[in-house]
Amino acid sequence: MNMFERTSRRRFLATAGAAVAAPYIITSTALGNADRPAASDRIVMGGIGIGNMGRGDQSDFLNRKDVQYVALCDVRDEVRNKAKTNVDNKYGNKDCTAYNDFRELLARSDIDAVHIATPDHWHAVMAIEACRQGKDVYCQKPETLTLREGPLMIAAARRYGRVFSGGSQRVLGDYRQYVDPVWAGELGTIKSINVNVDPLPKLCNLPAEDMGEKIDWNLWLGPAPWAPYNSKRCSGSFSINGASWRSFSDYSGGGMTDWGAHHFGGATFICDVRESQPEEVTYHENSGKPYLSYRYPNGLIIYHNRPNTGNLVIEGTPGERTPSKPVPMYKGEGGIYGDFIHCVKTREKPFRDIELAVNTAVVSHLGNIAYQLRRSLKWDAATQQFPGDAEANRLVDRARREPWQV
Amino acid sequence: MLDEAFAILKQYDWGSDMAPLAPIEDAVALSHDQAELRRDLENRLVATLQSDASRDAKDYVCRKLAIVGTVASVPALEALLRDKDHSHMARFALERMPTREAAQALREAAVKVNNELKVGVLGSLGSRRDAAAIPVLKGLLTDSDPSVARAAALALGSIGGVEAANVLKEAAMSATGNKPVIIDALLACAEALLAGQKQTEALAIYRSLAIDDQTRLVRLAATRGILACTSLQS
Repeated sequence: MNMFERTSRRRFLATAGAAVAAPYIITSTALGNADRPAASDRIVMGGIGIGNMGRGDQSDFLNRKDVQYVALCDVRDEVRNKAKTNVDNKYGNKDCTAYNDFRELLARSDIDAVHIATPDHWHAVMAIEACRQGKDVYCQKPETLTLREGPLMIAAARRYGRVFSGGSQRVLGDYRQYVDPVWAGELGTIKSINVNVDPLPKLCNLPAEDMGEKIDWNLWLGPAPWAPYNSKRCSGSFSINGASWRSFSDYSGGGMTDWGAHHFGGATFICDVRESQPEEVTYHENSGKPYLSYRYPNGLIIYHNRPNTGNLVIEGTPGERTPSKPVPMYKGEGGIYGDFIHCVKTREKPFRDIELAVNTAVVSHLGNIAYQLRRSLKWDAATQQFPGDAEANRLVDRARREPWQV
Repeated sequence: MLDEAFAILKQYDWGSDMAPLAPIEDAVALSHDQAELRRDLENRLVATLQSDASRDAKDYVCRKLAIVGTVASVPALEALLRDKDHSHMARFALERMPTREAAQALREAAVKVNNELKVGVLGSLGSRRDAAAIPVLKGLLTDSDPSVARAAALALGSIGGVEAANVLKEAAMSATGNKPVIIDALLACAEALLAGQKQTEALAIYRSLAIDDQTRLVRLAATRGILACTSLQS
């Protein structure tokens, strides 16, 4: 439901209240009080993917007084049931509906916004469908699995006027000590910054295991290639060393996208290139160890794993000062979650608007492709293609398993 | 070493050690500018695809053909499009392969394979933005299987252009159950037309959707589109 519809609902309630006799009981929960807005003024939310990150996201939204959390979805029985209990306990009722299939949740017309924290291979399919259904979206990072998905997610959000926030809380939260002096102009023109993040994603060839849990395996795999159940394949652990889906290329871009969303997001924020994409990635080798340098249209170089260089080491221009700029901040209260909810109410763009989040994801994906092909690449942000490079263009996207499309 | 790696690939299955396949990975990367090596690599991959290798091994081959496959791989991949265990990974190779033959194989499969696999094939045609598939997709827009009709609509939206938009416009007038996805695809066409400087065509689509018959979500989307068109025209 969009803001217009919420306004209509409020008007309806007001009109109805004046025209008909009051019900015998109107609870303070529904009417609101000094501590909590009335039900009609709360953002009605649902969550999809309530595992490790999703549980944290759910908790933040659930604890907001201006959110009414009504539905959730997870393909794991245990996760789904625990998450429902968590919501029901919070509200002291049994009203939260738990779904196995996200399409049922997205089809509900009473839900204003959803948060998505599934493995990455699901993000685009779910987020685009959420936009089609008129929901605002908070999607965990890394928002995309392929380069093609980013523009499609942006287009869906813009088409339907949706507020769509990416999910890295660290971009603003962790890197302010670097952002502030750079944006104040104290380091002069920034020539380069280095990002250290590993590892690259790997193909998963884990053997079949007996399913030790109740999980809808076909829905877990979704658009990814079919593979047998293995607990490490689908583990939501934050490990990226082969013991979680974050390690494997069918579901994730590995450390390059998982932590890359934070570090590259931070680097592009620090250097104020959040609104652009690299135009070239150069593949280097140093004593047999590969590393990359990305060149931006303004001349900035972002290194990846530059030898003997620490994470987020910045090379400025000694003796130069550049004009100071105001640093963008979260709106509302409550960090990145509060920023999203504030924007759902006001229809402003959130701090981590999907377009900025996609620009970060592009850095990670370009890097993964350069490492995979072991060579330098040129990138045209306008066409979202590698100009004159048919081989690299094959890696802009990948076929999704039926019936899933973006 | 490549001989050994391909010998191991024939026995490869879920749980196999992947390290012995490293020479194949190397060959994919290193053959970028070595036509002879790449031809040899492709021939070996196709031979594995046509062998009795495991599903996992054939999946592995399809992943490599997605990068190095040429017209020489198309017949072997096309043969797998009708196989429920291999159709997706055959598309994995064909969808991104920049040859007419790959598109032709997908178009032919779109009318031959069962509905479950057809949905995937239509998605691949959309992803390729294969305008030659528009007649096939038009026929499937009214398919009795809603998942096929939906996939055809989304594919037309991905392909874009005036011809796809006209097909969708016509379908929107009579559509019932799948109308929202047809409208979504039509809006995608309008956006692509607008981005391609065809404001007049885009504006016509948006105006056709900014009417009371449509949902509020669609009317607002169409109104945003009209404003974008008129701001460009002025």
